[in-house]
Amino acid sequence: MLKLIKYEFRKTFHSKLIILAFTALMELSFLAGVFLDWDKGLKIGITGLLLCATIGISYIGIESLMVFHRDLNTKQSYMLFLTPQNSYQILGAKVLENGISILLAGAFFAALAAIDWTIALLRIGGLQELLNLLKQLSITWRTEISLSPSTLLMAFFSALASWLMTVVTGYFAIVLSATILAGKKFSGLVSFVFFLLLLWASGMLLDRIPAQGDLYFWLLILGSLVIDAVMYVISCWIMERKLSV
Amino acid sequence: MLECMEITKTYGKKTAVDQISLQFRPGKIYAMLGPNGSGKTTLMKMAVGLVKPNSGAFYYEGNPINRESRKKIAYMSTEPYFYTWMTVKDVGQYYADFFEDFSPEKYASLIQRMELSMDLRVKSLSSGMMAKLKIAVTMARQAKVYLLDEPLNGIDLLARDVIMRSVVEAAAPDVTLIISSHLVDELEQLVDAAVFIKNSHLIEVCEVEELRISRGQSVADRYREIYGHGGTERC
Repeated sequence: MLKLIKYEFRKTFHSKLIILAFTALMELSFLAGVFLDWDKGLKIGITGLLLCATIGISYIGIESLMVFHRDLNTKQSYMLFLTPQNSYQILGAKVLENGISILLAGAFFAALAAIDWTIALLRIGGLQELLNLLKQLSITWRTEISLSPSTLLMAFFSALASWLMTVVTGYFAIVLSATILAGKKFSGLVSFVFFLLLLWASGMLLDRIPAQGDLYFWLLILGSLVIDAVMYVISCWIMERKLSV
Repeated sequence: MLECMEITKTYGKKTAVDQISLQFRPGKIYAMLGPNGSGKTTLMKMAVGLVKPNSGAFYYEGNPINRESRKKIAYMSTEPYFYTWMTVKDVGQYYADFFEDFSPEKYASLIQRMELSMDLRVKSLSSGMMAKLKIAVTMARQAKVYLLDEPLNGIDLLARDVIMRSVVEAAAPDVTLIISSHLVDELEQLVDAAVFIKNSHLIEVCEVEELRISRGQSVADRYREIYGHGGTERC
């Protein structure tokens, strides 16, 4: 399975490299802004880094869905389904690679934000000064949020887990479109509607978590992972029995 | 032994393969013959599990086709299927990563024989070069069953000789080779038996030698008889 994960990573390597290159560019702009007192550079850097983080993490998930769609609907599918691997291993490698990529990208951007925040604090000389500067740059920061760093981190990782759940639900919809709905009229549309319904149902389920604070986020992550597991098993079961490529 | 029993595959209202039962024995080379759309490719794809039958099944050594049988069965599709970001070297590495029976040395030698080079990008290959790459990577496996779908398509005469040589080299008492092609004359010199498929049905499996001796026919003669205008065999 490690070899499958390796090739899943290779398939998306270039786009990850592009995200990294843009991030490095924005980071340079941010650092130039901080150390050379270049306000415009600082503004471009902060906005760019925020965009790189949000769009980058979103794109990693979306690209994984595009790759899976291609892997089931083009002749490239033979590269996967001719190998002595079953559907559980093939889809498992995709889920793991994507989960690890999203987690690593999230951790990378969180670490970068922490480092940049510290650098800015040290260089500019205090939190209030930094916030004033951001305000001058028209970047408003909500200071009234009273969350502990651990809760903030849990919220961040639960958001990543929810995003992974969206991606796994997408895998399920793609499997449906390539198997049970294959060759039928509007199969793409029907599977997309099914995808939205499943997301809505999963969201409803997770909204019922009866907890608050750190425990809420723990349960949210756990709930998302359980839904991932259920979708994964059903998708693989269908693939094993119905998938013709 | 690779065999299928009462296997059927339909795509919507079209039946691609209809109730075919066949046995492919080790030590033999089979030609799978029939015009376009007769069901040859679908049958081959079902043998490796790429296509799931509606009814019936393929078996290898008595067991239904599964991930274990794919360790022993090598399939070469008629369409290109490699990832476009790969080089010829990457394709070999991919096969080496997934197939225990893949020989990197044999692959290197076949690539050289096919006049390709390891640094060529898959997306830059012409259709002839792609066909050579497909055959090289497939024949570099030490499989027990080889299924080659139209291996001579789009290949010039000299390259055909190289491919035929690679195929002959793979023949062994414990190996089954199944080759589909329209080039009946060229296959005739190579194969032990011919499988004739017409309109999704199996018409006949005949031993080439027996066909010559008992009926005084070549495979090409029989092909004309079955598929020619007013072909005698109906299904």
